[in-house]
Amino acid sequence: MTARAGEEPASRRHYDLTRKQDQEAFAAHLLAQERRRRRLQRIRVFAVWIALFAILWFVFSFLNIDFGYTVNNAEFVLLGIGVTLGVSLVSITIASLIALFGALGRLSTNSFFHGLSTFYVSIFRGTPLLVQIFIIYLGLPQIGQQIAARGYPWLGALFILTAIQSGVLALSLNYGAYMTEIFRAGIQSVSQGQWQAAAALGMSRWQTLRLIVLPQAIKIIIPAVGNQFIAMQKDSSLVSVMGVWEITYRANRFARRDSKYMEMFLLAAAIYWVLTIVSEWLLARLEGRMARSDRR
Amino acid sequence: MKSRTMHLFLWMLILLALSACQMPVAAPTAATPVGEEAPAADLLSIVQQRGKLIVSTDPAYPPQSELVAGVAPPADTKCTGDERPANQFSGFDIDVAVAIAEKLGVEACFVTPDWTLITAGGWAGRWDLSIGSMTITPERMRNLYFTQPYYTTPAAFFVHQDNTTFAQPSDLSGRRIGVCTGCTYESYLDGTLSIPGETIEFVVSDAQIVGYDTDVPALEDLALGDGVRLDAVLTAQPTGLTYIENGGPLKQLGDPVYFEYLAGAIDKSAPHDTTAFREAVTKAIQDLHAEGVLLALSEQYYGVDLTTAAAEFDLDRLEQ
Repeated sequence: MTARAGEEPASRRHYDLTRKQDQEAFAAHLLAQERRRRRLQRIRVFAVWIALFAILWFVFSFLNIDFGYTVNNAEFVLLGIGVTLGVSLVSITIASLIALFGALGRLSTNSFFHGLSTFYVSIFRGTPLLVQIFIIYLGLPQIGQQIAARGYPWLGALFILTAIQSGVLALSLNYGAYMTEIFRAGIQSVSQGQWQAAAALGMSRWQTLRLIVLPQAIKIIIPAVGNQFIAMQKDSSLVSVMGVWEITYRANRFARRDSKYMEMFLLAAAIYWVLTIVSEWLLARLEGRMARSDRR
Repeated sequence: MKSRTMHLFLWMLILLALSACQMPVAAPTAATPVGEEAPAADLLSIVQQRGKLIVSTDPAYPPQSELVAGVAPPADTKCTGDERPANQFSGFDIDVAVAIAEKLGVEACFVTPDWTLITAGGWAGRWDLSIGSMTITPERMRNLYFTQPYYTTPAAFFVHQDNTTFAQPSDLSGRRIGVCTGCTYESYLDGTLSIPGETIEFVVSDAQIVGYDTDVPALEDLALGDGVRLDAVLTAQPTGLTYIENGGPLKQLGDPVYFEYLAGAIDKSAPHDTTAFREAVTKAIQDLHAEGVLLALSEQYYGVDLTTAAAEFDLDRLEQ
């Protein structure tokens, strides 16, 4: 020990690890070293980002883009943020509810509920979102008219959805199908022993699910749902085909006025990117909070 | 528990199957009472009661329809939700829609669904009328009723300005004529074009058709010189005239050879009776033709008269 320590440069402090004082100092030294390493790593990654961003900027400078036009006309597109976020937030909430019931059906031994859930997931994961939007917007009202014609106008009226309602329904059903698998995995990640222990305490399956399993599963589910929310913010651009004035619609239609396509689409892209970065940051904080109970 | 839900499910299936069988039989009797309440279910009276005409437009096609940014909606507008008041847009279609709404004594409100959704029909009463420069075609007539056309796209021949041998379109028989591939201009030259409500005279025969992606490259090839690559181009009159205005060395040869009619459209599967509404809109457009309002708008937006042929169009010939 002393021989090896002797080989080290004189500037380094020597620790005698048989002494408690030195043990603590050595641990502090290692921690500080690790912190420095991490900070340096962060700075390097940040530098890489800056460099890549500069390259991207350089590439776009070849495209002959009139950034002055973008800045001057940004307001009209920015007004779409509310619609994009609103549609995404409502849709992710409904999708989460659908996914919870979808997962329960998926895990159910009841053949009806299991069949219902797997059928639903199969259809909505197996068809493109854009096609679903068209079918819901065009098809549901036709069913509604048939129902109304058969003497139930109030019921038929429920099927005639506005553009935003159709968009929310399509996004909810589509994402609900993907998230069913997320919820299923989350619920299954809670060990079978928890169910057995709860049963031994005399809890019903519903009570077990509500009080024991879901609170633990939610920690697995939340990060994945957040990821879906980030994806949905961008997929919500598909509702622009029905004429919902969200970010993409506004950018696209405004661009046509003066044939300034790249100017407006780059603006839309930048807005989505910033929204995503903010969402990621909020999500990381949420995850940090949720992980607190796991620290010992 | 398990078998009970299974039973329930099977019963539901059986009921569904039964109701499906009964539906065609039950439909006429169930539909009659709805028909008898005609005054309430008539689209024209609904539009007049609500005080607004909901029109679809896609603000992607200047100068027909484009966005106007940064204008506050008027305080007294009746447009709600998805609907936007007229001052959020500008263009020929918008002005025509506003003029029609004025004739009906109501405000024009606009919704902006994608073009595919407009031409598909099945609007489910979400909007009343399309004023979107829609060409009357047999395919669209399956889903939509057309109103009196409010303007036209005339198809005209263009030749090089140095040419002196062609005096009229029929002189172009057997010559090399440029058109956009798949457009009506190509069908005209090969003699297969049919336009609802119009009798077409095919004055040019045996043309050597030269296909292009779009019209402008054809015009550019013609501009290279008289007979260098092309002897003539058949295209939309406004397209050709704009090209000439921008310095293209071409001239129009004779009058337009046929017209494509652009009209308002109304959903065939609308939940309410549209008979009176269709008549009212057609009447409004005919009045706007007679008063010269549409002609003035055409000259304002296109610099030429695109409306006279539309005013003369006989809507009854569509047999819709």
